[in-house]
Amino acid sequence: MYEAVHARPDGDATAARHAATAARHGYDGVVVRTRDALDPAGESGEPSDEAAALRDEYGIDVVDAVEIDAADATSASGAVGNYRSSRTVVCLVGGDDGLNRFAVEEPRVDVLVRPMDGSGDFNHVLAKAARDNGVHVEFDLGPLFRATGGKRVRALADLRKLREIVTYYDAPHVVSANPRSHLELRAPREVVAAAEAVGFDAEWVEEGLRAWGEIAGRNRERRSEAFIEPGVRLGRYEEDG
Amino acid sequence: MKHLPKHLRPRWRYLAVGIETWPDAEIRRRGFQRALWYAAGNLLGDAGSADADLTLLAFSHGDGEGEAIVRARHGHVDEARAVIGCVSEVADAPVGIRVRGISGTVRACEERYMGRAGGSSTQRDVAFEDAERPAVVRGDARDVRTESGYVGAAAFDTE
Repeated sequence: MYEAVHARPDGDATAARHAATAARHGYDGVVVRTRDALDPAGESGEPSDEAAALRDEYGIDVVDAVEIDAADATSASGAVGNYRSSRTVVCLVGGDDGLNRFAVEEPRVDVLVRPMDGSGDFNHVLAKAARDNGVHVEFDLGPLFRATGGKRVRALADLRKLREIVTYYDAPHVVSANPRSHLELRAPREVVAAAEAVGFDAEWVEEGLRAWGEIAGRNRERRSEAFIEPGVRLGRYEEDG
Repeated sequence: MKHLPKHLRPRWRYLAVGIETWPDAEIRRRGFQRALWYAAGNLLGDAGSADADLTLLAFSHGDGEGEAIVRARHGHVDEARAVIGCVSEVADAPVGIRVRGISGTVRACEERYMGRAGGSSTQRDVAFEDAERPAVVRGDARDVRTESGYVGAAAFDTE
């Protein structure tokens, strides 16, 4: 299972500290959402030196990612084009009807993160588009762990609405607690237990935590030199032919 | 009052909890118990909170690290785990928290999961982001003091 973290400068802990804590908590990997916190992967999808060193040090996978926080769909489109070729996982911050719509209709986006933030909303049209384009919808459990009072109630109500729509259309999903420091990181069993307490299915949440790893694996394979198109790979004996 | 016959006594589970904070944070037993009760009340409501019956049995904390034993009713361990995960701050100090394990007796809990502190912490200057900065060093962890407060780093960042 993977967790997607905000590392320094976006958060209060470095990518290495997140990786060390996540390894102790029993995660298989961390996705570093902050663009400046980790070097991008190489041309053919192999991890950067920094990511490889972190992997050797702590024994868990460290994935480079980017979170695109754009003002509108036009600038988001430019940013997606820029980062798709250099980053393993491309996330787009939602929270606005136009951006949510753009993200789910853009197959180059891997994850639509925090779709219910601010004025953002989700409906059946977006869910169908997300399913058809393979865009994962993030369930942000941050407020469940860290907010209180009315803010938490509203966030949980939004999560429930999102869950009902996304499960009905079977759109792909990811789950994360959006930790901004190693102190906000929670072990997978705690994440699952807390989500279960607010009505999520345990199995479904675990699937959402694993999905980060599947996205990273798929994109690495796509960027590797052997990959031609889905289902077609360069074989070993190509040169002889 | 006369104590209950064995089959009527509540059965308990004991959760070993690991705690992590910034080095300057000071959290006390009372504060932690209160945070636990509030978290339970907010997540499970009064009814669920009474069912889970979370009580703090042992607590220690110092230098940014601590541990505790929390008692919960047998059969409500998942709820207890959820509540413990939802403790995000104690007396305004952010805490990292994790259930290390669960036992059926206090003694087993202590023997198996407690006293695993990451070693003593020392204060020294480390090279971090192109500057020498004071840091609290505990095992692999480096809590570096910067202008904007502490930053969590690891040995990897400072070598």
